Amino acid sequence: MSVELIAYGCFFLTVALTYAIMCLGLNLQWGQTGLFNVGIAGFVAIGAYVSALLTTPDTAGRLGGFGLPMAVGWLGGALAAALVSYLVGRLTIRLRADYLAIATFGIAAAVQLCALNLEPVTGGPFGIGFIPRPFAAEAGNPLLFSLLNLALLVIVVLLLYLGLERLVRSPWGRVLRAIREDETAALALGKSATRFRLQAFAIGGGIMGLAGAAQAHFIGFIAPENYLPMLTFQVWAMLIVGGSGNNRGAILGAVLVWGIWAVSAALIAAVFDPAQQARAASLQIAIIGVAICAVLLLRPQGILGEIRTISRHLPSRAGKAQTAESRPE
Amino acid sequence: MNAAAPPPALATRALVAGYERDLPIVRGVDFEVAPAELVVILGPNGAGKSTLVKAIAGLVPIHAGQAFLAGADITASPVQEKVRHGLAFVPQTENIFATLTIQDNLQLAADILPRSEQAARIAEVYELFPDLAARRSACAGNLSGGQRQMLAVARALIVKPSVLILDEPSAGLSPKIVGEVFSRLKEINTAGITIVLVEQNVKAALAIAHRAVILVEGELRHDGPAATLADDPIVAQLYLGATPAGREEQR
Amino acid sequence: MNPQILVDGLIAGAMYGLGAIGVTLTYSILRFANFAHSELLTFGAYAALALSSALGVLSAGLLAPLGPFSFGWSLPLAAITAMALTGLLALAVDAVLFGRLRARRSSIIVMVMASFGAALTLRSLLEFVFTSKPAYFTRELQIALPLGGGMRATPDQLLALVLAIALVVAVHLLLTRTAIGRSMRAVSENQALAGVVGVDVRRVIRVVWLLGAVLACVAGIMAGLLVQLRPYMGFDLLLPLFAAAILGGIGSVPGAMLAGLIVGLAEAGTVQLVGAEWRTAVAFIILVLVLLLRPHGLFGRPQA
Repeated sequence: MSVELIAYGCFFLTVALTYAIMCLGLNLQWGQTGLFNVGIAGFVAIGAYVSALLTTPDTAGRLGGFGLPMAVGWLGGALAAALVSYLVGRLTIRLRADYLAIATFGIAAAVQLCALNLEPVTGGPFGIGFIPRPFAAEAGNPLLFSLLNLALLVIVVLLLYLGLERLVRSPWGRVLRAIREDETAALALGKSATRFRLQAFAIGGGIMGLAGAAQAHFIGFIAPENYLPMLTFQVWAMLIVGGSGNNRGAILGAVLVWGIWAVSAALIAAVFDPAQQARAASLQIAIIGVAICAVLLLRPQGILGEIRTISRHLPSRAGKAQTAESRPE
Repeated sequence: MNAAAPPPALATRALVAGYERDLPIVRGVDFEVAPAELVVILGPNGAGKSTLVKAIAGLVPIHAGQAFLAGADITASPVQEKVRHGLAFVPQTENIFATLTIQDNLQLAADILPRSEQAARIAEVYELFPDLAARRSACAGNLSGGQRQMLAVARALIVKPSVLILDEPSAGLSPKIVGEVFSRLKEINTAGITIVLVEQNVKAALAIAHRAVILVEGELRHDGPAATLADDPIVAQLYLGATPAGREEQR
Repeated sequence: MNPQILVDGLIAGAMYGLGAIGVTLTYSILRFANFAHSELLTFGAYAALALSSALGVLSAGLLAPLGPFSFGWSLPLAAITAMALTGLLALAVDAVLFGRLRARRSSIIVMVMASFGAALTLRSLLEFVFTSKPAYFTRELQIALPLGGGMRATPDQLLALVLAIALVVAVHLLLTRTAIGRSMRAVSENQALAGVVGVDVRRVIRVVWLLGAVLACVAGIMAGLLVQLRPYMGFDLLLPLFAAAILGGIGSVPGAMLAGLIVGLAEAGTVQLVGAEWRTAVAFIILVLVLLLRPHGLFGRPQA
């Protein structure tokens, strides 16, 4: 096997793993807690921009960069995204379930707008370049460089996975599931149910921010168009395919869907002439949409499904949660 | 059943019902109400009284058995059809539309009648409930507890039902208002409308009822004239210590 | 301050109002935030475009501008058919997707997610069919008429404003004066009790889909006529529509219209005072303020 092929494989997997991190964050919010986030791209962007600001060298005409170590950037990105998640959750979690969805949708639009227009901070439409890359010293050796990067991402994903699994099995995780599955239990917990949901939402948002930071440093360049609603749709497709509620499913789904995405994009590029490519690409998104609906209708538990608990969110027992049809008292 | 006798106004055969199939709350109830009878359903908390009447009204799924209205099988008819067949139901809570006016609450019920009869029927019901007539354009949400209960009954009467089912009409009302509501129900019954009442307020209910049945753990345990039941030891046994104002089947 | 803000804001606001009425009605009856509503708007606009062009091919006379307006008979004719098609689309999506989930008593959030999936599908299919290139109902140029006080508006804009007001009044009368309107208000307050009273809830749901779809179609055609048609035109309106529906109070038709106008005016003011690039932030800020200060909106019932 040629070196290029292995390097490309590493590159592909590394990008896929950054998506896997986002997916893990979403799984904590939706899979474990039942909180619907339609603004993933916004939280990822916050992580990416904050980390870029913190770690890039001082740039004329732009705030920062502060040239701080990469780890500080990643941590800062995650914390900033967690803080924004906390504020959005604080505002909406006590209200109707779908107000959170609308608010996150709005946050993503607002972040996008800020990234475009706050030129002195974000670089505007041109974005931020020269973001330090991990193991830059080894860049001369493509194989080693890509292997090291992949290893770093594997370690991050593994640590997150183990941490989340612990969290899910802890009393805290059990309370989350109880709240998600049984509205009566949630009501009995009252204010603290809101607090648990809020914690899960903020941690999930922080993980998405971390993913944004990791991705920014791996690619070395960010711009507003990296964080369009499309990104949100892709991450949702990954979690749904992998199976919400299941952390291993979240990782598997990310790799699988990213693979399908890359292959189909390559196929489109090969089959259609350039004028028609954008058009054909819209079919890719249509398929994500159909997949979301089909999974909700046919296989709500995804490919791997949730371990331990039976299907929730859907029929019978979930009827105890807020249902679309008001239930006779 | 004697072929010559009229069919019961309301009947169930081995009725099994509950919110979830694997968790029946009503477990095989055979129950009959004769025309123009006033029957009260008693029983401890969680016995399935509310579930039984909600299942008959079409609000809780029936898993087995049948329900009949004047001999016609209404087991499978959807909730909005039952009222067209003459079965009116007054739920325990949220039994009026608080955001609609009194007039709109009644008009909504009258909408299923032929257009030409609607206004006259609403006027007739206003005659029965002059308090409501005086405030017809008021928002129903502004009514007191007793007035709400009267509006709920008035709304149910609009369609001239053959059977009127009420789920704990005395819940949350002061004793004085309970007396008013119950005497009103007695009048309605005397006018020929069959009434089925689920009640925790045993004394007040037995005072107006012809017959009482007792439901325990989803099964019918006792059936007899209301007058004798009032002194029956079985009632004492079932109700001593039970809080009369308690609510059942909170889900 | 430039008085033109008032005209621009009112015209955009009327469009938001129409869309928001559809959102608020479906929200109050179906009880979930329908992210696919914006796609009904886009679909309606493109359906009208396709039909109008087809009519133009059949008879070029239909394209000749009507009086002071920029479009010919082909557009109003196409619009009526497009409304019917949009209504059918809404009913079809309900039959295939939402109705089934409702029958299973799915949680609100599953419905929201399904609407999200439906929106992605519809939008991308529209993009596939019509491409992402902007399209126009007409190439006619219009001269803005002076309205006095330094304000100007084109005949098309004035027509849109009048049409929007007429539709709002019509929907308000439908809700408050007719039997079906009464049923809708009843279902919106208490679905189970509405059934007990004899209301056919499924019929009410169908009527609400039709009504919401027709209003979305009109709003979409207006947006297409006054600005342009793009596959993302509805998606970009989603935030202002949700903001207007929540600001007006879920279920309130006059509230949705008033809130639509408020959002429109606030946007026009922002464009003047801060800059056009921040226009889309207005809806978000309004949304956050409403959720913070008065979550049940201007005319909604306080409720969890």
